[in-house]
Amino acid sequence: MTRDHRPASDFRQARQPARRPPLTRDQVRGFWFLSPLFGFIGLFILIPVLGTIADSLFRDIVYLPVRFVFLENFRALWADPSFWSAVRFSALFVLVSVPLEVLLGLGIALVLNEPFALRGWVRACILIPWAIPAAVAGRIFQLVYNFSYGAANYLLDLLSISREPLNWLGSDLSAFIAVVVADAWQTTPFAAIILLAGLAAIPEDLYGQAKVDQAGMVARFRHITLPLLKPVLIVTLLFRTIQALRIFDIIFVLTGGGPGGATESLSMLAYRHFAAGDFGYGSAASVVLFLMAVVAAIAYVRVGRFQET
Amino acid sequence: MVYGCNAGQEKKAVVFAVGGAPGEVMVWEEVARAFTDESGIPMRILRQPTDTAQRRQGLLVALGSAQRDPDVFLMDIAWLGLFAAGGWLAPLGDVALEPFFIETVRQADIVDGQLIALPFSLDVGIVYYRTDLLTEPVPRTWQALAAAAARAQTRIQPHTPGFYGFVWQGAQYEGLVVNFLDFAGSQGGFLVAGDRILVDSPHNVAALAMMVDFIHTQAISPPNTYTEMKEEEVRRHYQGGDALFARNWPYAYPLHAAEGSPVRGKTGVMPLPAPENGSPAATLGGWHVGVSAFSDARAEAIQFALYLTSRPVQKLLALKLGLPPGRRELYTDEDILEKYPHYELLAEILRSARSRPILPNYTLISEIMQRRLSGALARDYSPAQALAMAQQEIDRMMARTRRDPPGSRPR
Repeated sequence: MTRDHRPASDFRQARQPARRPPLTRDQVRGFWFLSPLFGFIGLFILIPVLGTIADSLFRDIVYLPVRFVFLENFRALWADPSFWSAVRFSALFVLVSVPLEVLLGLGIALVLNEPFALRGWVRACILIPWAIPAAVAGRIFQLVYNFSYGAANYLLDLLSISREPLNWLGSDLSAFIAVVVADAWQTTPFAAIILLAGLAAIPEDLYGQAKVDQAGMVARFRHITLPLLKPVLIVTLLFRTIQALRIFDIIFVLTGGGPGGATESLSMLAYRHFAAGDFGYGSAASVVLFLMAVVAAIAYVRVGRFQET
Repeated sequence: MVYGCNAGQEKKAVVFAVGGAPGEVMVWEEVARAFTDESGIPMRILRQPTDTAQRRQGLLVALGSAQRDPDVFLMDIAWLGLFAAGGWLAPLGDVALEPFFIETVRQADIVDGQLIALPFSLDVGIVYYRTDLLTEPVPRTWQALAAAAARAQTRIQPHTPGFYGFVWQGAQYEGLVVNFLDFAGSQGGFLVAGDRILVDSPHNVAALAMMVDFIHTQAISPPNTYTEMKEEEVRRHYQGGDALFARNWPYAYPLHAAEGSPVRGKTGVMPLPAPENGSPAATLGGWHVGVSAFSDARAEAIQFALYLTSRPVQKLLALKLGLPPGRRELYTDEDILEKYPHYELLAEILRSARSRPILPNYTLISEIMQRRLSGALARDYSPAQALAMAQQEIDRMMARTRRDPPGSRPR
């Protein structure tokens, strides 16, 4: 049950027998148990992904005959300022919102990992924003930022910060911040709950031993919590990065991509073209989004060195 | 969907795709039942969402994949170019067009000499104003409207902080494009020149500059005009008593006049003002009925389309749903004028109303415009820059989505 601390290379050597032994009955049976999952992934993930990649190479516009154009859609994307603005928004959004949410989530997880009265209740309550559909969260924040009767302007007035109401969604920067805040409100609980599971898996006696060695709180966090939490931390970052890359609902409801397309994400750009019957172009945008997610995933797996499992 | 081999003598059900609020769908069901009673043709209603863009998408998927259902449906005027270019609409044959607004039918419903749709209901922008607050004569130009709005605002805003002179639809959506066209008047707007759509004309730059000016310089329109104002936001703002003028569609009329409405009995309607050295041109909206080219009950579906646009049904639906009818003759009908006195004015505006370009890729053109107009209203760049960028992007998009030369029809 104890963790094996041999370097990863030992495992690799141990896993290279001269000949692969024949599959046991259990392994064959295991394969059958897994087959519905493979079927599911193939049907609902692999086929649509391959279909989208294939479609991105065609001029697939609903009122025109379909024609193979190879990379023409990507060339058109390259020349489209709204594509670059969407890439920039998606990238900035990931860079700002993911670290913010994971840091906040880590803080919440550390607190919730300590024993205190009503801890179970607080843990459950923290999850509420995550349980709310993103479209509803977008609508809630629309009411928060509303110019005439929103809570944000009410607070400004109440705290005597500004008598004049602010048009929160009216400039590129403030609309960006508004989207980040709404998203952080909604998805920080997700980060918190996964990190909390990771914290709970760290054996308590490690901390006991460290205390015997007179390690302070900061030292315990740096030398025990952080290294042992790293795999879970990487998984959380990976999940949040991919979710943040494809952000759609909150923006669609809250800003509609405005003002002037400043908060339009790549997935929203793809959606707009799909909805207009411009399928090949929308597919090309989706492929770019897919590639960005793949790059992020590879980077995280590299950093996390998952080959040891 | 029900597939079956019932005895051949049973008539094919006509599937009618229509969306709207729950109350509207109930009215549609009544109409369908009445049609079945009259003709013996069974009907089925395929319920669509209320949202216009989602309704388009649902039909686009069914027609793009040549499904046999729905057989008959309503289309926003802005989609007609797409549906026609897809070859999705069956010709309706010889229909007497005299009772309709001929100019509308000519602009929107006749493609390559074929009648492919009929106006079911028409829509056009009008300006609502407070008869108790407007001290000067009804303004005929945007400049006069702005001056009246500013005077009223200076007088009223000090004791009613949310009061603004003029509210209109400026959020980033199709309504922004329509408002822009309304501001631009007859000399501005989309200019179709051969293969090109010209948008960066001086008239258009002036119109956009005026919109920016209304929000930011003269401040007669609220700061959230370009972030929040759609039809319903404008209606609520005006109906709450917080505006002198409001640009909106006719649907708001009965709501403004409803019992308990703060502006009841204090609201007048006027046509859109004219730009400087120009004449007004209202942008046409509304719904048209069409029959699918893939329908397996085409004759029956056409019969239903004609039924929907017949005089008695149009009158009934106008009275029940408050939708301005497609038939011109109803705008002089006594019962209708008694309920909606503003229809007299509407008929006058509709005669010269202008359709948005009937092009298959209109949605893509509009989305580029929405984005750049919104950017100008947010003052990310100047009106001239906004329209220059839009022009460049539209040109590129048009080249990509153009029809192949051999089979192309000049439009």
